[in-house]
Amino acid sequence: MKGPGRFHAERVVLSNGLTAILAENRALPSVSMNLAVLSGAIADSEEFAGTAIMTSRLLDEGTTHRTSLQIADAIESVGGSIDCDGSHDRTTIHLGVLGKDIDLGLDLVSDIVRNPAFSPERIEHERERVLSEIRSAQDRPQVVAGWEFNELVYRGHPLHRPAHGYPDSIRRIRRANIEGFHADRFVPGNAVVSVVGDFEHDDMRRRLEGAFGPWPAGDAASVQTPTPARQRDIRRRFLPVSSEQAHVYFGHLGIRRRDPDFYALQVLDTILGAGAGLTARIPRALRDEQGLAYSTFASITGSAGVEPGKFIAYIGTAPDNVPKAVAGFVDEVERIIDEPVTAPELADAQAYLTGSFVFGFESNAQIARFLINAEVFGLGFDYVETYPRYIEAVTPDAVRRAAAAHLTTRAYSLVVAGPEGAVDIDTL
Amino acid sequence: MPPPLTSPNVPYTRDVGRTVLDNGLTVLTRELRFSPTVTCMVWYGVGSRHEAAGETGCSHFLEHMLFKGTRRYAKGDIDRITMRNGGSNNAFTSHDFTAYYFNFASDRWETALDIEADRMVNTVFDPVEFAAEKKVVIEELKAGLDQPWGALMQELHATAFRTHPYRNPVIGWQADVEAATPDRIEAYYRRHYHPANATLVLVGDFRTAGALARVRERFGAIDSRAPAGDTVAAEPEQTAERRFRLAWRSDVPRLAVAYRAPGIGHPDSYALQVLAVVLAEGKASRLYQRLVERDRTVTFVTAEYGESRDATLFHVRAEGRGDASRDAIEAGIDEEIDRIAGGSIGHGALDRAQRQIEARFVFSMERAMDQALLFGQIETLDRLEYVDTYLERIRAVDAAELARAAGEYLSRANRTVGWLVDGAQETPD
Repeated sequence: MKGPGRFHAERVVLSNGLTAILAENRALPSVSMNLAVLSGAIADSEEFAGTAIMTSRLLDEGTTHRTSLQIADAIESVGGSIDCDGSHDRTTIHLGVLGKDIDLGLDLVSDIVRNPAFSPERIEHERERVLSEIRSAQDRPQVVAGWEFNELVYRGHPLHRPAHGYPDSIRRIRRANIEGFHADRFVPGNAVVSVVGDFEHDDMRRRLEGAFGPWPAGDAASVQTPTPARQRDIRRRFLPVSSEQAHVYFGHLGIRRRDPDFYALQVLDTILGAGAGLTARIPRALRDEQGLAYSTFASITGSAGVEPGKFIAYIGTAPDNVPKAVAGFVDEVERIIDEPVTAPELADAQAYLTGSFVFGFESNAQIARFLINAEVFGLGFDYVETYPRYIEAVTPDAVRRAAAAHLTTRAYSLVVAGPEGAVDIDTL
Repeated sequence: MPPPLTSPNVPYTRDVGRTVLDNGLTVLTRELRFSPTVTCMVWYGVGSRHEAAGETGCSHFLEHMLFKGTRRYAKGDIDRITMRNGGSNNAFTSHDFTAYYFNFASDRWETALDIEADRMVNTVFDPVEFAAEKKVVIEELKAGLDQPWGALMQELHATAFRTHPYRNPVIGWQADVEAATPDRIEAYYRRHYHPANATLVLVGDFRTAGALARVRERFGAIDSRAPAGDTVAAEPEQTAERRFRLAWRSDVPRLAVAYRAPGIGHPDSYALQVLAVVLAEGKASRLYQRLVERDRTVTFVTAEYGESRDATLFHVRAEGRGDASRDAIEAGIDEEIDRIAGGSIGHGALDRAQRQIEARFVFSMERAMDQALLFGQIETLDRLEYVDTYLERIRAVDAAELARAAGEYLSRANRTVGWLVDGAQETPD
């Protein structure tokens, strides 16, 4: 590997059908690996929502061969780390070790992905922790407002709920649900592994075959997810909290990562709400010019995934400023729909996107994460070369067409969490 | 390629150049060939530690103003130039320092030098811009206080320190921020922003000789100034435990304990760093096993102790779970610390903690930016050589030293215990 974005990745398929992507980087004595099972909370039923996240949390909490403490002690004793996390569309095990400890790391990851014990005692322990963490999260109005925003935007689609589920659904989860999710989803045909760092390609391939080859082949049945519908109405919700600031989410359904308009919309995001520093229109107007907020942004591509993401404009501001902020969002969204972006704005956004994206490929962990996304979204391992071309091909007209197709101020969801009585939500 | 980090004989900073210009500006350079990028950081040796009563928050407010324009760059230009060059920039302020950075591709990184040299001395303090930015800072301050841990930690520092400015929040007390004037912030800027109080750090794909010539072109003509006097109030010794309860809109009890602890380079600071890892880093750690696993009284527990210029705090934090009692949570922590002070940490747990610190060091070096952060911070707080002996000193900590440090620093009389409690259920202190 010569530098950020110039790594050489190769894709191999192991004997049991597990896809592995390898990229050598000899600059540092470490190895980062991600093993992603391509199923997450979207696969949960409404009744047992939270099963996928609970499963991810239990992976390193004991296997048929090792206790939770034995796993922790083994990896921590070499200064390594194993983290398991779940999201709506996947479940990922992250491994970070010094190159010399890779065999131990592979052995542990192979064990926890294939042989988790899901002991009743550990299940109760994790259930209680998740419930306590949800209670704790209720103290952060920004988080609570974000959950409520999803409820409004994703009615009738699994993305309406938090990935970790609801307290009631979490209480209903039984060991059979967790074992079922694991048995159905944790199969080589539904997983991708990426490895980046200090190793030699052929040698690593042999080691991966040794560690994961014995994992019995299998494919996961596809999950039928309803296509979420764009709302046709205006949905407003006020959540009273005793906070200093009001937290405002404004927006609607967004796009999938594979949407052909993705790159035009990334340029749009950069101009509208997510450029360098305070260059984008919304932060410039609401923060730099009006002083309404420390934190404000807007984006539609940031949440694009296997399933459609959402267009979000967010601000944390004094309650008195909420009407002004919402009016600011509406003005800026309408402006980018109605008027073409200027040539200098477009050129700046393109220069920013094509120049700064290499900073996402500096560490082994960043590259390992990218390689999973490259596989899931079909980006190609030469994405570093192709990405600038996609961005440079975007025209003012393409931005305007994408804005008109994917943004609106006529049908939206609006959530405000703030001090009781501070905001009359129906006037916004 | 960096030297092997676990070899004690190769100083890690062997490849870091250190140059001091005639006007006192320290320049650290580290060439990294594997990345066609350059990180440029400027560190000023000024933070909330240097603020007098009534002017808290000045350092942080000033950091904001450094993006609002200079004689050469209009408001918005710095971000716009960063954007056009495909880079990123930001800044942060702490108790001990204020730092600014740019990341650029290696064929255009010198733009960062132009901006940094100019705003070191030519920042303008337009009253209209100042007033608008004050509103932004107040919103930032309120966002922090809306976070339960933000409110609790602010109170903890104010209680644990009586006189030392570490008692003040970096963002300042709201009344002080509201009373700030352009003149006062500008005077503060003139006092603290000058070459002899700054370290410029360059890490990435450049040639040192050429880079230094470019640095001299931009910074060489800036007038040298004598360092501002250091008038930080000494903190009296703590002789008895301090406690408080802070009312909050939540029924989740949150605990923060602050033990008074030494600053960077103190001989005991290494044992305390190992102790933080032994106590709460990873699932095999003592407090995790005791409070999360055995007692099941908390959802998480952390122990934090970092480099600091003056004597600082060693924090233990935990969030209560279910209906666990506060007494039970405190008792669990106290008993584990007492056991460590009694000599219960054997070779295995000590070695594990030392390896965790070593690996963290390696993993925290992967990006050019990470190295610039480390070198700049250490040079500002102490001397770069601290980095070279760091792992060696961590490795040299033995079980007896660990036990002694636990007994000496993590004692009842040396601590402040703060609880965030449900304001609807009980009356705070």
